[in-house]
Amino acid sequence: MAVQAEPATAVPVARRRRRGQLGWVGGIAVTFAALAALYLVMAPLLALLSTAFRGPSDLLPFEPGAHWTVDNLLEVYLGTNLLSTVLPSTAIFVLGSVVVTFFTAFTLAWLVERTDLPWRTTIFTVILFPLLVPGIVMAFAWTLLFAPNAGWVNVALRALLGLEGNGPIDIFSMAGLILCQGIASVPFVFLLLGAAMRTMNPSLEEASSASGARPITTFFRVTLPVLRPGVLAPLILAILVALEQFEMPLIIGFPARINVFSTRLYFDLNPEDELPAYGKAAAVALLFLVAAIALLLVYNHLIRRAERFVTVTGKGYRPTRYALGRWRVPALAFVGFYLLVAALLPAVVLVWTSFAGGSNDVGLDAYRTLLADNRFWPAVRNTFVVAGLSAGLITLIGALLAWQILRLRFPGRAALDVVSFLSIGIPAVITGFAVMILHLTIPIGIYGTVWILVLAYSYRLAVSTRLSRAALIQIHPELEEASIASGGRWLDTIGRVVLPLLAPSLMASFLLLFIVGFREFTIPMILQSQDNWVLSVIMWKLQSDRQTAQAAAVGTMILLFVAPVIFVLRRQLLSRQGDA
Amino acid sequence: MLTVRGLTKSYATADGSFQALKGIDFEIPAGGFYTLLGESGCGKSTTLRCVAGLEEPDGGSISIGGEVVTDTARGLHAPAFERDIGLVFQSYAIWPHMDVFANVAYPLKVARPRLGAPEIKARVLEALRLVGMEDFAGRQATKLSGGQQQRVAFARALVRRPKLLLLDEPLSNLDAKLREQMRFELQELIRRTGVTTLYVTHDQSEALAMSDTVAVMSAGRIVQSGAPREVYGQPDNRTVAHFLGSANFLRGRVIEAGDGLATVVLAEGAVEIRVPSRVALSAGAAVDVIFRPEDVTTHLDPAGGAIECSVERVVFQGGMSEYQLRLGSTLLRTVVHPSVSAQPGDRAWIAIRPERCILFAAG
Repeated sequence: MAVQAEPATAVPVARRRRRGQLGWVGGIAVTFAALAALYLVMAPLLALLSTAFRGPSDLLPFEPGAHWTVDNLLEVYLGTNLLSTVLPSTAIFVLGSVVVTFFTAFTLAWLVERTDLPWRTTIFTVILFPLLVPGIVMAFAWTLLFAPNAGWVNVALRALLGLEGNGPIDIFSMAGLILCQGIASVPFVFLLLGAAMRTMNPSLEEASSASGARPITTFFRVTLPVLRPGVLAPLILAILVALEQFEMPLIIGFPARINVFSTRLYFDLNPEDELPAYGKAAAVALLFLVAAIALLLVYNHLIRRAERFVTVTGKGYRPTRYALGRWRVPALAFVGFYLLVAALLPAVVLVWTSFAGGSNDVGLDAYRTLLADNRFWPAVRNTFVVAGLSAGLITLIGALLAWQILRLRFPGRAALDVVSFLSIGIPAVITGFAVMILHLTIPIGIYGTVWILVLAYSYRLAVSTRLSRAALIQIHPELEEASIASGGRWLDTIGRVVLPLLAPSLMASFLLLFIVGFREFTIPMILQSQDNWVLSVIMWKLQSDRQTAQAAAVGTMILLFVAPVIFVLRRQLLSRQGDA
Repeated sequence: MLTVRGLTKSYATADGSFQALKGIDFEIPAGGFYTLLGESGCGKSTTLRCVAGLEEPDGGSISIGGEVVTDTARGLHAPAFERDIGLVFQSYAIWPHMDVFANVAYPLKVARPRLGAPEIKARVLEALRLVGMEDFAGRQATKLSGGQQQRVAFARALVRRPKLLLLDEPLSNLDAKLREQMRFELQELIRRTGVTTLYVTHDQSEALAMSDTVAVMSAGRIVQSGAPREVYGQPDNRTVAHFLGSANFLRGRVIEAGDGLATVVLAEGAVEIRVPSRVALSAGAAVDVIFRPEDVTTHLDPAGGAIECSVERVVFQGGMSEYQLRLGSTLLRTVVHPSVSAQPGDRAWIAIRPERCILFAAG
């Protein structure tokens, strides 16, 4: 081949043979991210799967003496009340609470985003408040309010209505469980629905009005259908979230003898006076894992469609607001009642109980006892270390994953994409269990430490890959190519161009994951040892030891920490959606 | 300076694979301005990206300034950051998180061995002066107009004093008036720096105005290359004729041929013309006579030897009018001074300048 056209200056240069744009630094970085994703998400799941098919049940899957079997499945599905009791209660619990959540969140979101409701910004902030409070704190606060014997609300109602005995409200029932869970999930669904309503192109509704449709017709024939993808995706997500809930079923469902999937799995792992039945628990988990992944696939399908919708309509719209008119007072009453039950009363009862719950005197006794408790400060440190480290770790890994999935072509890319969003569908209780089995089977010396919590929390990769992916799609590939063509190596391009442009979404991802880690209860419960207690677990321990005032003191301190974060978060949320 | 040999490239698509490049060969001498011209999807941008090192070709070799940067036969492929190039993108790709100075300084900052800060500053300012943006050094990149972004992109591409400047449709995002102005500025800039340039565009007027050499690409091949006048005046085939300017086609039959001239009788209008012929044609052969709108004089009165048509449509375009004339089943385009006014349905007579006609055997 006649290559050297200019023989006088022809000096073949390519010193090393064919190299891609990545170089070895980039190669190591993306390989690390891919392997980390497999280790954090797939390895525990594989451990769980094999456990379900290994027996006998009280052995770890690869302990000597264990063998392949379907006994676990047969025993659990035919010989226990899983299908007859647990499955129906789980279904009722999940569907009931999702209905409550959706009705409340949709109404709130519509009132805040699309009507002239007064004090919208304040209401928005207070609605968000429970988003940051661990579910276990809310559950505890609601039992203080609605317990049939001494709950504040019940005492007040009895005095008002002149009743005797217990009640009239019994929180320890299926209805109580559904209502509590339903209300607890509102803030997060409210956020998603609000975003969908805010990005809706108002000219779609205006076109309907201009065609002669009355507002009510427009709402049902244009607004709702246009919002459908933006509403269905949060709906599926809410079902997934309800399915994995453990706090409410433990605190409210257990006294009422209601067993749902998460509590059933927990008690299979922590039987009263037997050895943990790993195989049977894995068999139980299998059913719900399959259900969750099926839901996840539907969700993924919907979110792709929703993304397409949003891309078409763009951003920066200022939807017209409906005038509430004479509906103003009922609307305010609805919002007020919700805020009272979901935020204000729980906060007040926690603070009051922390000062007055233990004895008849109002005072700081509970705090003194708590601060002297040698479990308290390690738990504070563990909570922040685990939440911070796992949030940082997966923000980084998630960004690298999103980058390689979008920008590189390699075999297995589609599979890695699936792994990167799979974690949305995996219930936390299953992850906790799966990580436990994995690290009991492969002892690398972190079982029972805070490090296993960091790894287990980090399975929530999808939060960060999703956010980074959305941001990367906005970054024109030519911005990166311009760096390469200017002589920038992979690290230059990533460090000087990609990361600075991604910074806002990396911050959002870190903040979100930190909050999720801060609230986490299920995973640290399953993986707990005396060296890795976090605040939520300590609070549960105090509460179940009937040290109510100290438990309330922990709750109060969590509220104090969360309150300022809310304002940071609110600014983030509002500015990100261009509605500051 | 740039030598490209036997470049091939295929992409996997949903239904098999798409061959984007089917063997591209060309050379640019030092200081030359070479343009790849073609419609979207013809492979021109892929060629440029292979030269830049952003894409790896399946076959072929590329050398820049005597350095072999790609040679698939020997398994060589230097990544883009090791090539001595400057690249301007269609989107300009100005980094929004940096100011103008930082954008232009970037190629020097990532250079190895490292350059000292004073030298970087001096060279960035020099590059900005070259494009007339020295007063904007501290301006945030997001606060620039399209034309300013483009100038910054040029400064960034030239600041390393590369051997080869690659331009990927750099003018296509500008509005018409600015595009024309930038075309002159760009030509002047390249003349002053003397940098060897590979230019990719779909706009034939840019290609004709700026290049030393134009290569027309179609379906992954270079179908014709040469000086702009040559390619425009003597297209080798219909694709080129069609792509460079608008062309009229009339059917005809050769009556006699020889000495590089052929006498052709047109199927419509029954007129004989003697036109230059580059291919050997025998009497009786069916041919297409091709001529451009500006090679026709349009009259509203009968003239000797002119062909009678009817006016189908008059498109007023300011400085001139385009006439669409019907001759039998064929529509012809001609350009007319705007003072001539005709109505659809009027008679018109056209006189074709025979020496400007091109003959192709009818396909």
